[in-house]
Amino acid sequence: MYFPSSRPWADGETLSEHLERRGVSRRDFLKFCGEMTAVLGLSSAMTPKVAAALAAMKRPSVIWLQLQECTGCVESVLRTGNPSIGDLVLDVISLDYQHTIMAAAGHQAENALQQAMKDNKGEYLLLVTGSIPLNDDGIYLTIGGRTAKEILVDAAKGAKAVIAVGACAHWGSVQAARPNPTGAVGVSEVVTDKPVVNIAGCPPISDVVTATIVHYLTFGNIPELDYDGRPRFAYSSRIHDQCPRRANFDAGQFVEEFDDEAARKGYCLYQVGCKGPATFSPCPIFLWNSGTSWPIGAGHPCIGCTERHFWDTMSPFYKRMPDVAGFGIESKVDLIGAALAAGAVAGVAAHATATGVHQIRERRRERELPIVNQPPSGKKE
Amino acid sequence: MAKTKVVVDPITRIEGHLRIEVQSENGRIADAWATSTQFRGIELVMQGRDPRDAWAFTQRICGVCTVVHAVASCRAVEDALDIKIPANANTIRNLIHGMQFVQDHVIHFYHLHALDWVDVVSALKADPAGTARIARQISPWPNNSETHFRAVQDRVKTFVSSGQLGIFTNGYWGHAAYKLPPEVNLLAVAHYLEALDWQRDVIRLHTIFGGKNPHPNFLVGGMASAINLDETATINAVRLSEIHGMIRRARDFVEQVYWPDLLAIAGYYKDWASVGGGVGNYLAVGEFPETDVRDLNSLYLPRGIILAKNLSKVLPYDDKMVQEYITHSWYEYEGGDAVGLHPSEGETKARYTGPKTPWTYLQDQDRYSWMKAPRYDGRPMEVGPLARMLVAYGSGHEEARELVKEVLDRLQVGPAALFSTLGRTGARGIETVLLARRLEHWYDSLVARIKGGDVQTFNQAKWEPSKWPKTARGYGYLDAPRGALGHWVEITDGKISRYQCVVPSTWNCSPRDAKGQRGPYEAALMDNHPLQNPEQPLEILRTIHSFDPCMACGVH
Amino acid sequence: MTALERPPRAPRMHLGSEAQPPTGKYQWIYLWELPIRVMHWTAAVAIVVLATTGLYIGKPFFMTGGEASSHYLMGWVRFLHFSAAAVLVTTGIVRVYWLFAGNRFERLAALFPIRPRDWANMVKQVKYYLMIKPGDAPQYLGHNPLQQLSYTGIYALTAVMVVTGFAMYGQSNPDGMFYRLFQWLVPLLGGIQIVRFIHHVSTWIFLIFIPIHVYLAMRGDVMERSGTISSIISGGRFVRSDVKYVDE
Ligand code: HEM
Ligand code: HEM
Ligand code: NFV
Ligand code: SF4
Ligand code: SF4
Ligand code: F3S
Ligand SMILES: [Mg+2]
Repeated sequence: MYFPSSRPWADGETLSEHLERRGVSRRDFLKFCGEMTAVLGLSSAMTPKVAAALAAMKRPSVIWLQLQECTGCVESVLRTGNPSIGDLVLDVISLDYQHTIMAAAGHQAENALQQAMKDNKGEYLLLVTGSIPLNDDGIYLTIGGRTAKEILVDAAKGAKAVIAVGACAHWGSVQAARPNPTGAVGVSEVVTDKPVVNIAGCPPISDVVTATIVHYLTFGNIPELDYDGRPRFAYSSRIHDQCPRRANFDAGQFVEEFDDEAARKGYCLYQVGCKGPATFSPCPIFLWNSGTSWPIGAGHPCIGCTERHFWDTMSPFYKRMPDVAGFGIESKVDLIGAALAAGAVAGVAAHATATGVHQIRERRRERELPIVNQPPSGKKE
Repeated sequence: MAKTKVVVDPITRIEGHLRIEVQSENGRIADAWATSTQFRGIELVMQGRDPRDAWAFTQRICGVCTVVHAVASCRAVEDALDIKIPANANTIRNLIHGMQFVQDHVIHFYHLHALDWVDVVSALKADPAGTARIARQISPWPNNSETHFRAVQDRVKTFVSSGQLGIFTNGYWGHAAYKLPPEVNLLAVAHYLEALDWQRDVIRLHTIFGGKNPHPNFLVGGMASAINLDETATINAVRLSEIHGMIRRARDFVEQVYWPDLLAIAGYYKDWASVGGGVGNYLAVGEFPETDVRDLNSLYLPRGIILAKNLSKVLPYDDKMVQEYITHSWYEYEGGDAVGLHPSEGETKARYTGPKTPWTYLQDQDRYSWMKAPRYDGRPMEVGPLARMLVAYGSGHEEARELVKEVLDRLQVGPAALFSTLGRTGARGIETVLLARRLEHWYDSLVARIKGGDVQTFNQAKWEPSKWPKTARGYGYLDAPRGALGHWVEITDGKISRYQCVVPSTWNCSPRDAKGQRGPYEAALMDNHPLQNPEQPLEILRTIHSFDPCMACGVH
Repeated sequence: MTALERPPRAPRMHLGSEAQPPTGKYQWIYLWELPIRVMHWTAAVAIVVLATTGLYIGKPFFMTGGEASSHYLMGWVRFLHFSAAAVLVTTGIVRVYWLFAGNRFERLAALFPIRPRDWANMVKQVKYYLMIKPGDAPQYLGHNPLQQLSYTGIYALTAVMVVTGFAMYGQSNPDGMFYRLFQWLVPLLGGIQIVRFIHHVSTWIFLIFIPIHVYLAMRGDVMERSGTISSIISGGRFVRSDVKYVDE
């Protein structure tokens, strides 16, 4: 079980200190502890013990907003290995709002959110999965009757740090693919007054999410980010440069069709559209699902899911080149290119012939003219 | 007493964004409205795409049932282009999808549904020795020891005494509708935690064949995971034995933990066997083709229709009878909003007409959801585990009948009890047992084929667009954990020109249709349904959760 | 510039005008100084290597079998590509320097058809090549406006290749210099795949340019017998003394 320091989040502050600073008296606190002791079915003699434990303990509050999403990112985090999701939720953090697993619903759920925001103002960690639809006043996602944008702006105000988990929260993912019917955008386009950590991927590997949280809890700050707000510890190398099939790439050994001889030897997937050369992700190093495998390991090309707009720029997924709008139905660039180049050669030949005919007529009238000076045998004067 | 308007938004412990409004009267629910509050427009995003990419896009409709849209999409494209996938690919898809069912259902039971029946706080009062005694009576599971339950209880105590209740904040603890003794509550809490680790471990089967979970990779024409016993980077003996280990672990947990827990807990809630039935029409498209998807006789879970709870007559299913209505939804149809469209002619054009946010009530609105309303031959249909088990039962599926009988005998209720909230939750358990066992069979058939020298996983013949017809239409059916799923694709000049999905939760969460018929959630909430305290809508959660809603699926 | 002897004034001549057949004498003038010529041919070879290896990188048409460790085909091809890229960049640096140090035919201004007369002349030049008005080509000592435009274009394209190429190259080492120098381009263009796409498509523009360019150079030689090809070898060409050149 992983157990980071229980209170780095508040610079050594304990719950009782914290409560005192917020105007909760020692008496009120002990009263609360008495009630807790009763709820727990313990004898009242235990109250001081509970109070002592409580006063010293405080798990950092985490609020998790789920916006326009498929819940794949939540599921991914549920598969986390170190810490396991049970350890994370029971021992490491206080997950005060999370739709998929929280007990309360409706008003009780929304009250939990408001309470957590109030109690931990300026100190909670805000996790967001899902995008924010901005078209038509954001009507494409409401929770408790409020729009996603409103909820996010509200929750971000008191957050100490914001972590956007997954492609949806990063930049909108599939719903932001052409033509982006709902105007979906990522968190960083709505929360602009504080740094947003983007845990890229559709979904990301769970360990990257939990490691970012643990980093924050252990070191008290967010990890170093790349140009797109992604933590460098996970997104600083290309798949292609860490891929076990790279030796096959360098050797010139490629799968040309799925399940061909080369595929059955585990050769490189470059020719069937692998986007490993265009994708920064730790998949080949961290691997998926507790080190089990990863897309290329299972014979499927990488589709570039950690990169912004990958649905449009990395597709067609089985072609190496994007299907840039206006370039015809297939990615026929090479056909067009080769045709034009051949056309140029043919055009040149035709032009030369026409010129030749013309020239014969012209020639007859021209006279040879004498030369005045001679070239200085290639030397500069 | 006057009718009280009640709003539950968000419904939590489901996938996605669901709002339920009811009118309650004398502790009963008099009327109900189910609203999906999210729309993404993925059917529109599909247009102009390469059909071979479609599985990946549609897969992102939902990360909970993560494989079902991918497979349905592959099947739709394979249907359109007349591609037959190799037997190995079919078996691998069954293994992946089968494990999806098993894992999804167990997560649903422990992590999404259990807190409707299990009072976590009450578990603190349990005597761990008593829990161990009960546990040993119902199951040989090795973790059923007093020490184990005591450790769990201590852990929960520490947690609760921290004063930070996290995800358990504001739960309905102590509500009169909770009926389990503390010892059984503790049992369930212990297995809640165990199931968290279990689900993570068994789903790695997806990772071996598809590279990751959620969202494993698929391939039109077969599967990308090549088989070669003599290479390291392929499906080889190491991978096969890992898979076999997961299958065994999945089955052990289902038979020794989930199934006994389900029966034990259900015993305390028999009153819920007469609540929450609903529309009474059931639809199963069938799933797990054991030869080929076109061979309907080879479906392990059969296809069929049951109308008006008539179990003695399973009618044939014809996909031509499916239509989607939008009369009470925020869309418009070119030919007018009162008609139903078959998905192959389906349209998705959003048009919001509701009130300005923040909303107070939607129940007085004519249109109130992003969900379309699918109807079969004009009827609302319930889909999902209950529909499948009823159809299997009605069609004489031996293994299903046995398990259904076991449940009814143990609870001492008749078959009518199936048409209820409890019946739905029970059917899910039955189905999980069936499939956890069937996984072994598929595994064996894969190994036998490899042994016989057949390692083919992909059919190359129609991969290149030059071999496709100028226009083509396809239908991909699949029965997903939450019920009958259909993808309809139209391909023009090598690109997708129309894409429509009719999804389990679209059926179940559908709003009213042109005739005013309510959808299954709405009808179930009005079927003899209690609501003691509108401030604590625990009963609403029980029935809604029994459907295992997935809103991202339903609307997409 | 000392190399250029001003040809004697002569009556204005139009190649196509039958009334006035050309008169006067030929004169050798020095146009392209050594750095330009060396640059030109080095770059030409580098580009041919880049395009060939690039096409292989884009679609590896040969493959190897057996143990990966006993082959390095793609490795060598990429090595060649990157080596040629280095050579190309070197020639580019020389050319940039010579934009300021060169003679007036080589300087920056000579690469831009900016004056109104240049545009009028360009139209004439096009008509000449299209044989609409075969006799009406304005005469230039250095690059005519059409050449100016296409050479400037090809320089720009080379710059595009270099920048997009290094943006891709840099990605293999995000701590390296090339990443820091060129990474800004990637989000600007909408992702590395767009960068790759531009690099890939532009290759075809080179492959279209090269035959036309070579043809027109040779054509100049043959038609005007003015040593256009040899000018980029020896540095000078023969011109008519009696012709009025636009850029005299
Ligand atoms: C990769 C192939 C080539 C490229 C990219 C290329 C590019 C260029 C460029 C940019 C210039 C303008 C030089 C300046 O003023 O800075 C030029 C000039 C010239 N090139 Fe090339 N060249 C190529 C191959 C050739 C070949 C094969 C020939 C001869 C057959 C040739 C003949 C010439 C001549 C004669 C000039 C002088 C232009 C004039 O003023 O008419 N080039 N070339
Ligand atoms: C006229 C000049 C050049 C031509 C015609 C050319 C052509 C090409 C082509 C056709 C490709 C294959 C693109 C694909 O399909 O992915 C390529 C790849 C590449 N080129 Fe160039 N290129 C040129 C200059 C450069 C330069 C100056 C660099 C700078 C380093 C460069 C670096 C690269 C890189 C890094 C790749 C990708 C290689 C890989 O991913 O393994 N290229 N080039
Ligand atoms: N198809 C699908 Fe679904 C739905 N509804 C399925 O099991 O969950 Ni996300
Ligand atoms: S990023 Fe991908 S996996 Fe995560 S919620 Fe969005 S669509 Fe689902
Ligand atoms: S499989 Fe993909 S990432 Fe791996 S070496 Fe080949 S192209 Fe690169
Ligand atoms: S598709 Fe995504 S999961 Fe990894 S291998 Fe590629 S980044
Ligand atoms: Mg639909």
